Amino acid sequence: MSRPTSRPAASDPSWGERSDLDVLNRDIPRVDGPVKATGEAVYTHDVRLPDMLWARVLVHPVPRAEIESIDLEAASEMPGVVHIEALKEPGDTVRYLGDDAVLAVVAAETPDQAADALGAIVVQAKRLAPVVTPEQALEEGAPVVSRRRKADSNVGRANERGDEAVADAALAGAVAVVERTFEIPIQHHVCLETHGHVVQPAPDNDQVTVYASTQSVSGTPRGLARTLGRDASKIRVLTPHMGGGFGSKFGPGLEGALAARVANVTGRPVHLMLTRADEFAIAGNRSGSRQNLKVGADSDGRLVGLKLEADKLGGVSGGSLPGPPYIYTVTDGAAVFSKIRSVHTATDGSRAMRAPGHPQASFAMEAAVDELAYLLGMDLVDIRIRNLESAVHHRQLRRVAEEIGWADHPNRDRPGAAVNGRAVGIGFGVSVWGPGGRSSRCDVTVRPDGSVVSATATQDLGTGARTYVAAIVAEELGLTVDMVEARIGDSDLPPSVTSGGSVTTGSSAPAIKDAAHKAREGLEALLTDVLEAPVGSYVWKDGRVSVRGDASRSLPWIAVCALLREPLLAQGEFRDFLHEGRIHGAQAAKVEVDTLTGRVKVLKMVTCQDQGLPLNRLALRSQINGGMVQALSYGLLEQRVFDEQDGFLLSDNLDLYKIAGSQEIPEMVALIDDEDERPSVCGMAEAPVIPGHSAIAGAIHNACGARLTRMPFTADNVLETLYGKI
Amino acid sequence: MREMDPSSGEPSAISRRSFLKGATQVAAAGGIIGAAPASEQDAEVEPEVETLSGSASMELLVNGKSRSVEVEPRTTLLHALRNEMKPPLTGTKEVCGTGSCGACTVLIDGQPAYSCLSLAVTCAGRPITTVEGFGSADAMSDVQQSFCDKDGMMCGFCTPGFVVATHAALDRAPKASLDELKYELSGNFCRCGTYPHVFDAAQAVQKDRARGEDGR
Repeated sequence: MSRPTSRPAASDPSWGERSDLDVLNRDIPRVDGPVKATGEAVYTHDVRLPDMLWARVLVHPVPRAEIESIDLEAASEMPGVVHIEALKEPGDTVRYLGDDAVLAVVAAETPDQAADALGAIVVQAKRLAPVVTPEQALEEGAPVVSRRRKADSNVGRANERGDEAVADAALAGAVAVVERTFEIPIQHHVCLETHGHVVQPAPDNDQVTVYASTQSVSGTPRGLARTLGRDASKIRVLTPHMGGGFGSKFGPGLEGALAARVANVTGRPVHLMLTRADEFAIAGNRSGSRQNLKVGADSDGRLVGLKLEADKLGGVSGGSLPGPPYIYTVTDGAAVFSKIRSVHTATDGSRAMRAPGHPQASFAMEAAVDELAYLLGMDLVDIRIRNLESAVHHRQLRRVAEEIGWADHPNRDRPGAAVNGRAVGIGFGVSVWGPGGRSSRCDVTVRPDGSVVSATATQDLGTGARTYVAAIVAEELGLTVDMVEARIGDSDLPPSVTSGGSVTTGSSAPAIKDAAHKAREGLEALLTDVLEAPVGSYVWKDGRVSVRGDASRSLPWIAVCALLREPLLAQGEFRDFLHEGRIHGAQAAKVEVDTLTGRVKVLKMVTCQDQGLPLNRLALRSQINGGMVQALSYGLLEQRVFDEQDGFLLSDNLDLYKIAGSQEIPEMVALIDDEDERPSVCGMAEAPVIPGHSAIAGAIHNACGARLTRMPFTADNVLETLYGKI
Repeated sequence: MREMDPSSGEPSAISRRSFLKGATQVAAAGGIIGAAPASEQDAEVEPEVETLSGSASMELLVNGKSRSVEVEPRTTLLHALRNEMKPPLTGTKEVCGTGSCGACTVLIDGQPAYSCLSLAVTCAGRPITTVEGFGSADAMSDVQQSFCDKDGMMCGFCTPGFVVATHAALDRAPKASLDELKYELSGNFCRCGTYPHVFDAAQAVQKDRARGEDGR
């Protein structure tokens, strides 16, 4: 039996001096690397239980329709069908292409049988006007698709900030003014593992087991409690591995509720993962936007006035867009006016996606800064430094400028021109994020045989969370990472936060550190009689403990643990002082534009990123690279496309919805900002996804003078910007 | 519905040709049913040909072992591996199902192939290597070890496909330049953005293998 350490902590935990660290702030190969590289890692998608049913949902192909009938008779007689139910009645309407378009669920003995039965469902429906574009939503007399109560149009209430007259006056007095309208498409998360669950029911009030591809292991039991008809404590959620979330997997969603319901009704385990096409139709997206941005600067390049009018395009949801001036500073804050509203279409609601709203805001603001620099004949780096308050941004911009070769670049204060149809340019962008930290717990158990377990419910989205769950404990106890077993992805373990907004590390790492520190002090209390030094006067290093200043009084780890009569359990909790959530980043991109074909090739991307103490430099560089790659993909390739006439989602597969592949990947340099010496930790994954596409657009402009105001930066977009509509 | 019983029990009892022939006939017969009386339809069927429908048992040669699976003519190799084998081989992932992403990459006859686009019946008697066939967590291949060392993975869902594709690429083009490696791996998508570290992993294997050859 384990018991909590009862003695109060003798001292507060700390991350320690960086020079003393043996495990953290180094390259740590992820502890689940071998199971992932060999296919042994079991994702929800891979769970196979005895007697398991395979479930599928039927999604109506267009966003709006009146259901006349859903005939399940033929389908229910198909081989292997165990459960089939319609979710809509005759006379019901499909209001949008999202969870409201799910018409039926089928569960069968095999995946093929479930698919066949789905195909045998006969739906009679009258199609209604699709309302898939903002133009359609804003048309006179357009059907109201907004879900707001008592909505009489598809336009949400505008959020106005500032005094328009003051902003206008400031802009009138500016030396240089730029005004542009930017169009930013809707982006999909494209988690490689689709959304879904495997629900294993249990009789009476026994514990139900749910495998979930989720960003919220601790939160999912509550999300399924009502459907499963039992208290959340009677639902165990397991997420040993999950194949990407990026903000789209916070709750069980309709697909989770249906899996639970079918498991309840049939009494059999149910596997319900969305298909790729379903995923595109109903599993969320990053909202698009249209932004009319007007910014003015004085002769020194200082921003003096700004006006933004923007529509957020989040389908039936509100969408997100932070207010201006994004990251940059306008000398007189009163001269900033913004009016942001939501325009609703009958399409899937936006969800959080890695730095919600920020890449959209970055795209318009960085473009305006570039153009003001050119109007004033200023260097692109200088104008940024002039308008950014944080000295951290200043040093990071200088660092990425150096790495990308800015000093030797010819077009630093004006766009270049193509030579023989080839032009090379460089662009920049900056990011900020405030990764929170909040209540989270961790248990560290040290056993008499020397084994150590670090356990917290958290999920590893691919960030490397599982690795630091072990590594932080290893550092505190002077062990190697492989001597600590990390247990995560289980809602029966001490609760952790939902992974959104880069909060996981800032929440979990302090709790892990606290638990490890308590375990260390618990062991030191045993040593006071043996090595005769008080708690707090020991050094734990290289698998040994010794009295500080007297290396002769020392014991190996295994001998220390042998002093334990029973396992030592240390319970850690979130400690605010171990975390600080304020981070910065700068990026530079270098591109080559073929001005004859319009093709853009990104040659190099550089990021410099701070985050306090890097827990694992290897995984950190992976996250920074990942941010750059996703931003590149967003800028160059990604665009959701609807058939505007009938409302079919045309881009519901990975052939037509393009994401970046190997051949788009340029040289990438992920610089960890080691001038940030804060003795704190926090997450950072949102920041590096924010400015990459902005830097690429800036580089295209810098190369050849084409300011792209529409994403993605396809060849036709470049040619049209260079030469006008052909 | 009648199921075919492979009479000989040999792994190659059902050739791709005979299986598909049977399957095609079912489809053709289905088309006739609406148009002609049953008696006429019966008369048109060649008596010697056995009509197949539903699933049938066949052998697949996976990672050096003969494995029995129940498949239909339409069953993809991917679904045979993941859903029909006992125990299932779930290392090979399904992401797009349409041959776009490479998560389901396996070797067939030593060549990389999308198992979501390969019908299981076409693989009878042909050696298939999945990610599990290259190594286990306790005994990884050089490529698998290198993916761990260089952090050539984040969420890990694309990793099995990349590991198989990297093995195939380095076998086919051991001295590939970085650009050539990017070309070789261009059939695989990663959404986390792991690519730079995947390239690092592949190049580290190239170096190690070259060193090994020099040493010999």
